[in-house]
Amino acid sequence: MATVASTVAAPGADVYRAKLVRVTLVWVLTALVLFPVLAILGLLMRTEQGGFLQSMSPEFFYAIMTLHGLGMVGLWFVAGMAVISVLLATYVKPTTAVSWIAYGATLTGVVLLLAATLVGRLGVGWYFLYPLPFHSGGTWPGWATASLFAALAIMGVGWTLWSADLLFAIARRYRLSHALGWHYLSGSTTPEVPPIIIISTVSLIGVLAGLVAAVVILVLVAVEQLGGSGFTNDALLIKNLTFYFGHMVVNITMYYGVAMVYEVLPAYTGRPWKTNTLVVFAWNLVLLLVMVAYLHHLYMDFAQPRWLQVTGQLSSYLISVPAAVVTIFSTLVLIYGSAMKWRLPSVMLFLGVMGWAIGGVAAVIDSTVAVNTHFHNTLWVPAHFHTYFVMGVVLMILGTVFHLVTELSKVPESLALTKTIVGTVGVGGYGFLLMFYLAGVAGVPRRYAVYPEEVVVGTMYARLSLIFIAVLLIGALVYIWETGRRCLKLFSS
Amino acid sequence: MSNMPVTAFGVFLVSTAIILIVFGIVARSTNQQRDVSYAGANRLRLLFFVSLGVILLIFLVLTLPDLPYPVEASTPERVVLATGKQYAWSLNEGTAPTVDNWDDAFSQKVQLPTGAIVEFRVTTLDVNHGFSLYTADGHLMAQTQAMPGYVNRLRVKFDRPGNYTVLCLEFCGMAHHGMRGLVEVR
Repeated sequence: MATVASTVAAPGADVYRAKLVRVTLVWVLTALVLFPVLAILGLLMRTEQGGFLQSMSPEFFYAIMTLHGLGMVGLWFVAGMAVISVLLATYVKPTTAVSWIAYGATLTGVVLLLAATLVGRLGVGWYFLYPLPFHSGGTWPGWATASLFAALAIMGVGWTLWSADLLFAIARRYRLSHALGWHYLSGSTTPEVPPIIIISTVSLIGVLAGLVAAVVILVLVAVEQLGGSGFTNDALLIKNLTFYFGHMVVNITMYYGVAMVYEVLPAYTGRPWKTNTLVVFAWNLVLLLVMVAYLHHLYMDFAQPRWLQVTGQLSSYLISVPAAVVTIFSTLVLIYGSAMKWRLPSVMLFLGVMGWAIGGVAAVIDSTVAVNTHFHNTLWVPAHFHTYFVMGVVLMILGTVFHLVTELSKVPESLALTKTIVGTVGVGGYGFLLMFYLAGVAGVPRRYAVYPEEVVVGTMYARLSLIFIAVLLIGALVYIWETGRRCLKLFSS
Repeated sequence: MSNMPVTAFGVFLVSTAIILIVFGIVARSTNQQRDVSYAGANRLRLLFFVSLGVILLIFLVLTLPDLPYPVEASTPERVVLATGKQYAWSLNEGTAPTVDNWDDAFSQKVQLPTGAIVEFRVTTLDVNHGFSLYTADGHLMAQTQAMPGYVNRLRVKFDRPGNYTVLCLEFCGMAHHGMRGLVEVR
């Protein structure tokens, strides 16, 4: 595999990485199956909001909304982890068996979530805000809530092991201060540490910090529900923990995508992307700020201390600086005037960084308290996170996957299909997002199965978005076909 | 009516246009290979850093004084107790309903005078809800969350008479989209 920093590759990396490829292919194929299924759930939701699916009950709408949200967040997190693992294997040695354990835990969790939502009609949203799972209003049975928490616990254990294993793999080669690149800050460049190691270390520490919050939530909820002591949880505390965890998982997924850009893009520009003081400073700053930026989710909780609300805005503004000034700017410098080979992976990585920038602007705007008053829980919210997911990290991950499977399978890329994928994903993706943004500006609430008369304009935007989603899905299916057949060829060889 | 959503969208569109132009220029630059002066790039990066810092600082200075949280020093002219419960809002002046007397004390609407500063004391008897006020033509004018065990105070001045709808803006279950209340301003 062509990577940039091969000068610091671990001895025997090729042989070692080959062991990881099989499990990574299983992760990729699973993602390629789940992605369109979950996307179609999104299409069904917008169809219902457009008034075309009168036969769909609100219970079913909210159940598939929950499955779509939890599924997509989980899917891209594990896809990010799987791809990062195989890229890291150039430099360090993650344990293949742990990846399989994480895969087993994830599949078990998926089955439990499918049962909870599709059979049990569990409709709690992807962040299942306490105490909603325990107040079904007769919609879902107790076993569906139990399935949700069992799924989270099982996947949590698997992902914790996986993250810890990757961190240990890094720690076996680099001490922590080196893995975080601190020696660059004092002027030393020895040992040379590739950016992917630094970003992965930052991300994995973030994941583990987020998972700690998830464990605290599970324990507190279990004590309340099973303890029989009359103990009641503090709703504001649980809300802080929930958004700390959720924000962390989503952001870390984004960082995995960015790490892939650092690692893979130089293979197409012909210019190296090495660690320097700025990169180190930026990513260490991100590690600090990502811990507090989640506070912007609680602006409308007026009981939250005012200084925390101001901290939320300050940290959300600040965290955009290293992303823009270091990563996005450096991406552009790396490409500017280079002998760039515009292939599907490089185009997807390039567009992914652009989508990250655009979604980032929308996120920073919404992280302004005075603006959030008008946008909180309107369709502006899914607008911005779909921008940096669908047109950001998803493109980065899928671009990297295509890079890997094309190199390994030696199946040449079809220029016509590349143009089809890029054209349909670009037009369909941004058209679909624009409908979310316009509805958000109009104050249309998110998570409404049916729009009441005050916000009935949401129906029109939902209808228009169907056209763009269909176009986007065509591009996605062509991509899945092209990548899937390469994966299957690798399996059979 | 606040122009904030439109202003925010304008900022977003301008920023997006700049991003598209810059990415477009960079993509086109690969048609003709050239060396990059890293000293020059770093000077440009510094300029970008300073510009971004100044823009963010300006937005901070402009928006932080506009926090929606009530100031202790001022006194509201009217107080409305807004209580959420799956799937309705009760709007009461005086005493709020409880789980036990919900059916008797529930009031789906409240009448208020034009121009009065009103404090909504928002809470919930079950799950999290989002208390939001929409004008008759569908503008979201104010909101706060309703959390179990907490009272969030939202101050609103109704400059114009009319009917204002209360909707739920935090997903709360099967009939979330049908959870309503009514504020009549006369």
